[in-house]
Amino acid sequence: MAPLPVITGLGFITSIGNDRASVLRSLRELRHGFEPFVFLGNPRIPVKVAGTIKGFSFPTIHSRDWRWPAGYTIEREAARSLAPHGVYATCALEQALADAGLVRADLTDGATGLFCASAGSTLLLASHINQMYAVRGERGDPMGIASSIAGTLNFNLAAHFKIAGAVCGFVSACASSSHALGYAMDEIRLGRQQRMLVVGAEDMNTESVLPFASLRALSTNPDPATASRPFDQKRDGFVGTGGAVALVVEADTLARRRGARIYAELIGWGQAGDGHSVAISHPEGAGLREAMRRALADAQVAPAEIDYVNAHATSTPAGDRSEALALHAIFREGARPRVSSTKALTGHGLSLAGAMETAFCALAIAEKFIPGAAHLSEPDPVCAGLDLPRTSLDQAPRMVLKNSSGFGGSNVCHVLRSPS
Amino acid sequence: MEPSASTAPTSPVPPADPEERIRQLPPEAQAAYRRFRSTGDPVALDPLIFAILEYFAPRTPARPIAEEPGAALLIDNLGFDSLAITEIVFFTEEVFDIRISNEEILRVRSLDDLRTFIRAKVASRPAG
Repeated sequence: MAPLPVITGLGFITSIGNDRASVLRSLRELRHGFEPFVFLGNPRIPVKVAGTIKGFSFPTIHSRDWRWPAGYTIEREAARSLAPHGVYATCALEQALADAGLVRADLTDGATGLFCASAGSTLLLASHINQMYAVRGERGDPMGIASSIAGTLNFNLAAHFKIAGAVCGFVSACASSSHALGYAMDEIRLGRQQRMLVVGAEDMNTESVLPFASLRALSTNPDPATASRPFDQKRDGFVGTGGAVALVVEADTLARRRGARIYAELIGWGQAGDGHSVAISHPEGAGLREAMRRALADAQVAPAEIDYVNAHATSTPAGDRSEALALHAIFREGARPRVSSTKALTGHGLSLAGAMETAFCALAIAEKFIPGAAHLSEPDPVCAGLDLPRTSLDQAPRMVLKNSSGFGGSNVCHVLRSPS
Repeated sequence: MEPSASTAPTSPVPPADPEERIRQLPPEAQAAYRRFRSTGDPVALDPLIFAILEYFAPRTPARPIAEEPGAALLIDNLGFDSLAITEIVFFTEEVFDIRISNEEILRVRSLDDLRTFIRAKVASRPAG
């Protein structure tokens, strides 16, 4: 029988909290992580809100000027090639390792791999390329590439945490870290690795968020309390966020042997493409529907067994509608799970989103609650029949489905189960 | 006419301001730089050189680099690695608007080597 991947450690640097306890409180009490944000100091920009990361400071592009919360030690040796989201990720990974009862020396024997997801750092990439233009290509920052391109996260974390197992980065936009998690599950199920570290992260700055305004994908609602309202009739776009979340995933035999706490079992995943548009969801959620079907099949679970769906829903008019239709197509004939999108609280973490929200699902299973659909006032009629609880519920979900979708119509779903 | 594939775009941004670059360093290092700019005396640069080394040291030095003997080797004694040295080269090129070749880098092994090298390099740069 194939090894069963289980989640044994979580680390959070998010807009709703920089540790497990804060995140848990925010999810239970539906506290959002949004603040007014003036992009480029320009009040004419209509996007006014962001899911800010508190306790960190990146006033310049130079890592010596950066600050992070007390308790984390990042030597210059490591910091010099990091992007801001690499700093978030280092902190999140340290948290996750401590949570799993592991130390760095446990990671170096080749049995532990590392799969990461980020879009790279557009801030640092732009800075380095502008520098190259300025000196007409005659010199450049030696860390310019390693700190900025997509892959910076795995380059850095693999080196600094001395990972000798499988190392890879995943790039499928907002489905990236869900892909990383899915393939990490397979590494364990195929017996190639005993343990996988999965890390999703993104910068939280103008350069990472504002370009989505050109796509008219960002909310222009200036009120932090309602700007992100997935599935609401008045939703008008997503609120950007960054941060990092790390998950420790292990073969259940290893986890049980060493007496690790198991948050949740990862019992199946599936993916499917829309084959439709580079940036817009299939109007009926065709790819997402198929990805859910495949994940449930992989998990050998019937739709009626799912207690909670953590939706991808970002609060865009088109995307939420597609997902609602896909959910209707899968959950029929008495299958009626609770559904919410925690992006109402965090904002949309892009490459980070899948890992962050899977970690929320693991917390929900372990702490026996279901996160509510925050900021939902008038549900879109297309959601009629979906069970969208307005508050978090003290109900223990046994089986949870997590949805993710990214550019190009890339859809990934995971099924988590309460540990047996 | 379309530019050929080998034609690089011209710079859309102005060159970096050295004052902007040294703003990251301690006040005494910035003062040393300004003293050098006004007097042209490379000997004035020592506090700046030590500050640059401490700024780019891969690990926090056990004691101030200014207290290390001049014969201390950057890699073997002070914990520098080749990445940190390329960073120092880049920073120095930026601040003094000079060019440092790979061959020149390889000849710099100790603190004294570095000090002598930078003094000679900035003294030989074109006026203005």
